[in-house]
Amino acid sequence: MSLDIVVCVKTNPDAQMIRIKNREPVLEAIPYKVGDLEKNALEAALQLRDAAGGGTIRALTVVEGDRKIRETIKEALAMGADEAVIVADPALAGADQAGIAAALAAAVAKIGACDVLLFGEGSTDNYSGQVGARVAELLGWPQIGYAKKLALAGGGIEAERSMDEMIETLAAPLPVAVTVVSEINEPRPISLMNILKAGKKPVTEWTLADLGLDAVGAQKRIVSNLAEEQDRKHVLFAGAVDEQVDAFVNALVKEGVVGR
Amino acid sequence: MERVDCIVVGGGLAGLAAAYGLAAEGLEVMVLERGNYAGAKNVTGGRLYMDPIRALYPELWEEAPFERAVARESITMMGDGAHTTVEVASDRFAGAQPQSYTVLRARFDQWFADKAAEKGAMIVPNMKVDELLREGGGDGRPGRVIGIRAGGDEIGADVTIVAEGVLGMLASAAGLRAEPAARDSALGFKEVIELPAGVIEDRWRLNEGEGAAHLFMGTVTRGMLGGGFVYTNKESISVGVVVGMAAMLQQAEPVESYKLLDEFKELPQIAPLVKGGTVAEYSAHAIAEGGIARVPKLFGDGYLLAGDAAGLSLNALVTVRGMDFAIASGYHAARAVATAKKAGDTSVAGLARYERALRESFVLKDLETSRAIPRIVENPRLFMHYPRAVSKLAESVFTIGAQPSPRLAKTVWKGARRDFLSLATLKDLWSLRKM
Amino acid sequence: MADILVYSEKADAALELVAKGREWAAELGLGLSAACLGAGAAEAASALAAHGADRIFVSDAAFDGLPADTVAAALAAAAAEAGATVVLIASTRRGKELGGRVAQKLGAGCVSDVNALTLEHGELVADRYAYGGATVAREVITTAVKVFAVMPKTFAVGDPVAGAGAVVPLPAPAASAVRVVGRRAKEGEAVDLTAAPRIVGVGRGFAARDDLRLGTELADALHAELACTKSLADFEWLPESRILGLSGAKTKPDLYLAVGVSGQIQHTVGVSSARLIAAVNTDKEAPIFALADYGIVGDLYAVVPALVAKLQSL
Ligand SMILES: Cc1cc2nc3c(=O)[nH]c(=O)nc-3n(C[C@H](O)[C@H](O)[C@H](O)COP(=O)(O)OP(=O)(O)OC[C@H]3O[C@@H](n4cnc5c(N)ncnc54)[C@H](O)[C@@H]3O)c2cc1C
Ligand SMILES: Cc1cc2nc3c(=O)[nH]c(=O)nc-3n(C[C@H](O)[C@H](O)[C@H](O)COP(=O)(O)OP(=O)(O)OC[C@H]3O[C@@H](n4cnc5c(N)ncnc54)[C@H](O)[C@@H]3O)c2cc1C
Ligand SMILES: Nc1ncnc2c1ncn2[C@@H]1O[C@H](COP(=O)(O)O)[C@@H](O)[C@H]1O
Repeated sequence: MSLDIVVCVKTNPDAQMIRIKNREPVLEAIPYKVGDLEKNALEAALQLRDAAGGGTIRALTVVEGDRKIRETIKEALAMGADEAVIVADPALAGADQAGIAAALAAAVAKIGACDVLLFGEGSTDNYSGQVGARVAELLGWPQIGYAKKLALAGGGIEAERSMDEMIETLAAPLPVAVTVVSEINEPRPISLMNILKAGKKPVTEWTLADLGLDAVGAQKRIVSNLAEEQDRKHVLFAGAVDEQVDAFVNALVKEGVVGR
Repeated sequence: MERVDCIVVGGGLAGLAAAYGLAAEGLEVMVLERGNYAGAKNVTGGRLYMDPIRALYPELWEEAPFERAVARESITMMGDGAHTTVEVASDRFAGAQPQSYTVLRARFDQWFADKAAEKGAMIVPNMKVDELLREGGGDGRPGRVIGIRAGGDEIGADVTIVAEGVLGMLASAAGLRAEPAARDSALGFKEVIELPAGVIEDRWRLNEGEGAAHLFMGTVTRGMLGGGFVYTNKESISVGVVVGMAAMLQQAEPVESYKLLDEFKELPQIAPLVKGGTVAEYSAHAIAEGGIARVPKLFGDGYLLAGDAAGLSLNALVTVRGMDFAIASGYHAARAVATAKKAGDTSVAGLARYERALRESFVLKDLETSRAIPRIVENPRLFMHYPRAVSKLAESVFTIGAQPSPRLAKTVWKGARRDFLSLATLKDLWSLRKM
Repeated sequence: MADILVYSEKADAALELVAKGREWAAELGLGLSAACLGAGAAEAASALAAHGADRIFVSDAAFDGLPADTVAAALAAAAAEAGATVVLIASTRRGKELGGRVAQKLGAGCVSDVNALTLEHGELVADRYAYGGATVAREVITTAVKVFAVMPKTFAVGDPVAGAGAVVPLPAPAASAVRVVGRRAKEGEAVDLTAAPRIVGVGRGFAARDDLRLGTELADALHAELACTKSLADFEWLPESRILGLSGAKTKPDLYLAVGVSGQIQHTVGVSSARLIAAVNTDKEAPIFALADYGIVGDLYAVVPALVAKLQSL
């Protein structure tokens, strides 16, 4: 069986590097990378495709604004996607989940060959968990959220999904939209060889016009986006372990959080 | 083995300048950088001198993310409880073609990497090169460098440009250069401290967009070779201390080197300048100080060395110059490789044009002119005696005591005779003729 | 008449939203409706009615497994019927995915994982974490219909009110293509990390599952609750109920002691309001130290036993 898979991949500013200045996040000069959960989705795609015995994996990304993306999306190709499809259009600047979902759904329709559409359960920066559901709705496909195990079964897909209090096993026919959680797998490390090969894989770029779409305006207004204030003491204890531990515990005692 | 035309080890300025040039020539080039991104692990004071490199890649400098054009240079000699500052401002420093700009590497190198990628270079972050692959060496000869091993994979290349920075571990391990000795190295500690642009302009009396460079010598390093620096960036300042490794090792009491930076920041001359700022970044990095005498052979069968990895940097007393050398050596490396590839000869003979080009450029010329500096600056009197003496003398000139004052000329003469006219100082003066 | 429409598959979460919805409905001059779907819908409906919902849309379709597509269809039908301008859903996992789907059906903007929702100058302003928890974004939805998925426990359940809401039957939506094959309870005991005054958090610095014993001993010596990073729960070394962070508990203990935890933002958002934060980590560059009041740079395998001994000697 041949299984065509599209993985929706978002590239985000490296969350670990975002610094806070005057309570505002500083995004300047922060490199972008493929989201953590989307790496799980890519890994799931590779495993499903292997299980099916063939098929094409496409990494699909929508860029909000005129950010450079070709380099960043290579990470997905290096992980093993066969092709990349980029939707980039100045009119997408400031788009939120509805706009991104509209572009993704139209691109999936244009790609055509898609049995399984994979998402992360949430994107690294927004973690809104909406985009997968919105795309499924636009395409009119069934959806399975929070998959922690995926397998092909009976011509369709079977998934264990991790809900708040239970594990649910669901079955759905193809095509289907699936969002994955981080425990589903450990994404494979990227090898240099694959990075080299990634440079030669096809990358398609579409604008909104190519997809027959007009700009989708934002549906939300950000009133503010500030970090909580933190005022910490930053005391590191030096010396041998015993000295460190003594000083550490004494400090906690003084603070009144341990001991009598 | 998979192959590319050229592998560049290290995504610092030397590596990126090489990759940019190679990609522009249409060669398949891959840059391997062990940091999270280009610029993540790179440290500079720092300012970039433009005149030496303006004509190389002129299209780049129009849009480069520089911080501020340095309009004013100051040097402060610090004694005990007194210091003297010489300040030089010139319309030409920050004029239409500023002679130097302050830069922040995290931003600058990422931008440079983007430019190289736009030209078609493959930039691979998070990838540490573990080994240079060789073929046919032995008997103390390195043999031909045929590629690299990284992350368990081996990739071949016609030419490998080693631009791994000052420690040069791969090159040393492959026998392409000697390991740097303590005597030829210094250590730099630096913080980037954020301040609003307006505050910087007020504190340093600067016009919008202009910057200041301020160097300190004397008690900052407790008399050890080196000094302190403050550079103004757009919305931050770079504050740091550089100390010679050998001088540091010679101290009777071990120097907790990072403390030097804290002490520097607490000095009454510095504290008000950094007041209210937030530390955004701390870094420590080695600096090559050996000068031309320690520059290894710059090319061989299948490889070139560029930037700090080739010892191409210059430490004249307290200013460090390395970025312009790195960019220029990367540029010439790219040209040499492109020409060698076209000629179909990437052997020693084919790559020799690289060193020839560097000899004809400012890179090896300036290093040659400064050949004596590394040994001159080993003289501790430069970093202890003179800053003190200058400060003391200047102080006495400006002192009016309760007793009737002697003539000014007499005060100066007395101080000068005491501190500047001994056999030792005359010898020092004689040695300086080679600077 | 325009309404606020409330839905959650969890009865108590629905009651929380009804309590707050009641308040806002009064203030904004709106009606309050609720929807109850699937098994037990009828009882849930009467509870909601007793707490002040004017109209309760009930469907007796099977909704086996509450698949997002059919639930969204039913909810959209209810919203249309009620002329809802505000839809409040509890941001459980089901609720969160439902939020996106129903918003798409309604042409509505949606904010999920809302941890505070306030009425300011007649506008609902939703707070949620952004950039993995580094900041709190305050957002206003600008579409005519607004969907908010609000974290359970954001609001308190109110007292019952007089008067009974009307039950409105909903037509059954088309069946979902998704089928429930099986269902089992999640393993691991329930813990309420938010109630613990002291918490010891363990992370990947622990090399093996058995080594967590050290973490437990430390927690005991501190009279603290044991918590973990998501990574350890992903390995199934500890249950999900012990995760601190963006996808786990958000706590405000007097002391949080992180051991072998790097302190990535998605984790620290769960403890950034702690009065004191302390950390043990071999890497002095680990981000946790940037947030810590007290820290030991060292190997937990050496530090933790010494800490336990010292604490026990107090
Ligand atoms: C405190 C201080 C102040 C300075 N001030 C100035 C100044 O004001 N002006 C000036 O011009 N110069 C200054 N310099 C010198 C200047 O920073 C260097 O000369 C310059 O950075 C050299 O560039 P490079 O590309 O050769 O090396 P680097 O910038 O060090 O780049 C080398 C790169 O190679 C990478 N690398 C190393 N090993 C590997 C490996 N095995 N695999 C993959 N990647 C690897 C590193 O991560 C790094 O990114 C200063 C230096 C210091 C430390
Ligand atoms: C959308 C999203 C949501 C997420 N939500 C959460 C969440 O709710 N909660 C959460 O925790 N994470 C969450 N994560 C994951 C998070 O980003 C981090 O991956 C995770 O917190 C890291 O766990 P860790 O600190 O245990 O592991 P690591 O990051 O691997 O850190 C291990 C640390 O242990 C130290 N160490 C190693 N050996 C020793 C030793 N012998 N002694 C002492 N120290 C040692 C290391 O220096 C290192 O700092 C989320 C991620 C995403 C993308
Ligand atoms: N701009 C985008 N391009 C491609 N996929 C995206 C984009 N934004 C979100 N997604 C996908 O939708 C998932 C959920 O995103 P979010 O709704 O932002 O939490 C992500 O894990 C991705 O799989």
